[in-house]
Amino acid sequence: MEQQPVIQIKNLTKIYRDFWGRKKVRALNSLSLEVHKGEVFGLLGPNGSGKTTTMKLLLGLLFPTEGEINILGKTASDVSKNERIGYLPEESYLYRFLNAEETLDFYGRLFDMSPQQRKERANQLIEMVGLQNARKRQLKEYSKGMTRRIGLAQALINDPDLILLDEPTSGLDPLGSRDMKDLIVKLRDQGKTIVMCSHLLADVQDVCDRIAILYAGELKELGRVEDLLKEQQQTELLTSKLSPEAVADVEQVLAKHNAKLLRHGHPTNSLEDLFLKTVQKSQERPGQRYVPAGSEKS
Amino acid sequence: MTFDRDPFSFIDGFQHWLKVFGSFAGGIFAITVLLALGVFGAAGPVAVINRVFAGLNDFLNLSPRRIWAIALLTIKEAVRRKALLVFVVFAFLMMFAGWFLESNLRADLQVKNAVSFALTTVSWLTIPVLLLLSCWGIPEDIRLRSMHTVVTKPVRRNEIVMGRILGFSTVAALIVVIMGVVGYVWIRRQVSGADLICRVPVYGTLKFLDREGNPTDKGVNTGDIWEFRSYVEGGTKSAALYDFPVGQIRDRIKIESRFEAFRTHKGRMGESLQVRYVLVNPTKQLRVPLKSFEVAEFALNEHLLENEVKYFDEGKQETRTVNLLTDLVDDNRLRIEVQCLDSGQYLGMARPDMFLRLPDRSFLVGYFKAVLGVWLLTVFVVSVGVMASTFVKGPVAALLTFTILIVGQAFREFMIKLVTGEQKGGGPLESWYRLITHKNDSTELEKATSTAIMQGIDEVMLSVLGVVQYLIPDLSSFMMSPYVANGFDVPWSVALARSLAMTVGYVIPCVLIGYYSLTLRELESK
Repeated sequence: MEQQPVIQIKNLTKIYRDFWGRKKVRALNSLSLEVHKGEVFGLLGPNGSGKTTTMKLLLGLLFPTEGEINILGKTASDVSKNERIGYLPEESYLYRFLNAEETLDFYGRLFDMSPQQRKERANQLIEMVGLQNARKRQLKEYSKGMTRRIGLAQALINDPDLILLDEPTSGLDPLGSRDMKDLIVKLRDQGKTIVMCSHLLADVQDVCDRIAILYAGELKELGRVEDLLKEQQQTELLTSKLSPEAVADVEQVLAKHNAKLLRHGHPTNSLEDLFLKTVQKSQERPGQRYVPAGSEKS
Repeated sequence: MTFDRDPFSFIDGFQHWLKVFGSFAGGIFAITVLLALGVFGAAGPVAVINRVFAGLNDFLNLSPRRIWAIALLTIKEAVRRKALLVFVVFAFLMMFAGWFLESNLRADLQVKNAVSFALTTVSWLTIPVLLLLSCWGIPEDIRLRSMHTVVTKPVRRNEIVMGRILGFSTVAALIVVIMGVVGYVWIRRQVSGADLICRVPVYGTLKFLDREGNPTDKGVNTGDIWEFRSYVEGGTKSAALYDFPVGQIRDRIKIESRFEAFRTHKGRMGESLQVRYVLVNPTKQLRVPLKSFEVAEFALNEHLLENEVKYFDEGKQETRTVNLLTDLVDDNRLRIEVQCLDSGQYLGMARPDMFLRLPDRSFLVGYFKAVLGVWLLTVFVVSVGVMASTFVKGPVAALLTFTILIVGQAFREFMIKLVTGEQKGGGPLESWYRLITHKNDSTELEKATSTAIMQGIDEVMLSVLGVVQYLIPDLSSFMMSPYVANGFDVPWSVALARSLAMTVGYVIPCVLIGYYSLTLRELESK
């Protein structure tokens, strides 16, 4: 089945100029890519690679020096495209003097939503991002994680088809980060298209279907995550626990097929999994704590 | 300030606005098209025209709800940034002002002081606060990138500019109304013994007769440099001819005047100048002299003309009676001739020195018209501030707006004199040269190449100033407090209509410039 492109970028170049119009930085060089409907697309790259510039060009916050952008069938400068877009900026640049309810009410008004719609949607989103207890507090009193949550809520106020997330997990604790990733997957499952850029490669690997890796403004890799990460020259087997003799036998069998056992041992869980398990247990059995071996019990 | 302004005509005002606006818009469009052609070739002008049509489309698809959302945000921002602390300053001033205002004055002067103080305080507190808020709003949004979360919604840039102007204007309205009400109560308490009046004058036209009785536009000049008042020579055929539109007056007519006396000899000790009004119907050749009266310098003279006017006909040596409205009013106008009867003395007057007085209005109405004037000026300031803040940062926008405000209020006349060459001493370079070389402004400069170059550069600068003077309005018409302070109503056609039209006339280009500025720039904080 042919995949429907939501974003089409052709030969996109962005050159930042100084006050006199002289070229300062070539932030993006002839970038071409497509993002398909219903996928989570990750933009990766080190600092200054052009991820955020790409996102701002998509949103019309910056103007391209060369190239074309087609987003939801419209040009980037067409304001009406924003009806179907949600955007979470890198920092949550919201109005710090508003509280959570006022923030969502304000952004709801910008979508011409009725008072009833705004109220319902605000309640739903505040609950979804877990800010029920802080809904009346001004954003200037929020922690960074809380600010990210309300930022995400404002990005979803219009129930968008395309969601652009700039560093969505930055500033979140592992629990918040997990929630964010779960939410991204859930939104993808609802048929929404998500474009995210992040430094946190583990997060990208967890949720993205396809990724593009940028370096110095140029596209270096583009494809499905699993295809790009797959080591074609090696095979991985996962078995139940083996005795040393069994490992030796396996090595002999491999030798027969001109292969070598490169590494064996016990697989490890990720630190994130351990942390989440510990927090979950603590929530289920409050009061219990870790006591190092050898110390006296009080 | 002068009360002697010509009535404002919306049609003339609109035509003037169209000329200035059209010339500037056309000029900017032509320059942009030429630049685009030079830089981008044939595609350039097409892009410019497309941009103009896109702009038109954006204005046709404005959403009142989004504009109001931005306005509400602006109001909340102003309130939470403690802009309303201005009330504390106002309350403080009102509490202690009474200590410093002189209380041993004549009742009308006490009223004048109190009203001037209250209205000046309202404007001096409101305008700077709103100027700063409006100049900082958008640049702060861009710097903090809050603007990113707004423009990535379906918000048009003109909605941002209009929402900001509406929001700040609403804050200004809130401030001036509350301060206005408090100020009114304060004036009432401050001058509790005096009458607060709001006279409604009807001004006429003024012409003169010379000592031979021939019509002339101006009277005698007694040597005063200020030519505002002209003088009537006493004991001759010289007279001032006031023609008043009678309009809706269907009853008796009240006349008020204050004249200046210029004496060439002491005259009779203890007596003032003798002055006489003569009511004239030129068509019927009817002249009705009224009883003469004494005029003290700038003292108030009040006369009430009843419907039936009795007078002594000197020709027929008999007392006759005429009907004021049917016999004396000619073509809906009443002519009053003012004569000075003392030989060798002069009576000075200007057009607003004599008027017909209609029934008074409530002081409250006149007072709040002046408050409305303060608000309209604040809306003007807010519009210019928001417009400037779309292309420069807060401090520069504030400086630009402040300059326009000050020049428009106090230096416009000087600027026009510079542009028209009425002001002696040349342009900026020549003035500097004269200052340094200690040459006064009427000394001829030596003929040299350097002088020609200096004057040439000045000429260019003055030409630029000539264009700028069309952009800076005469803001003195917004200041309506002198009307109320002097016991007059604020006239609609002379003050309010002019200020209202001027505000609308400036809000429109401010929105347009702000819109294009926000649309054509990248909203990155750089």
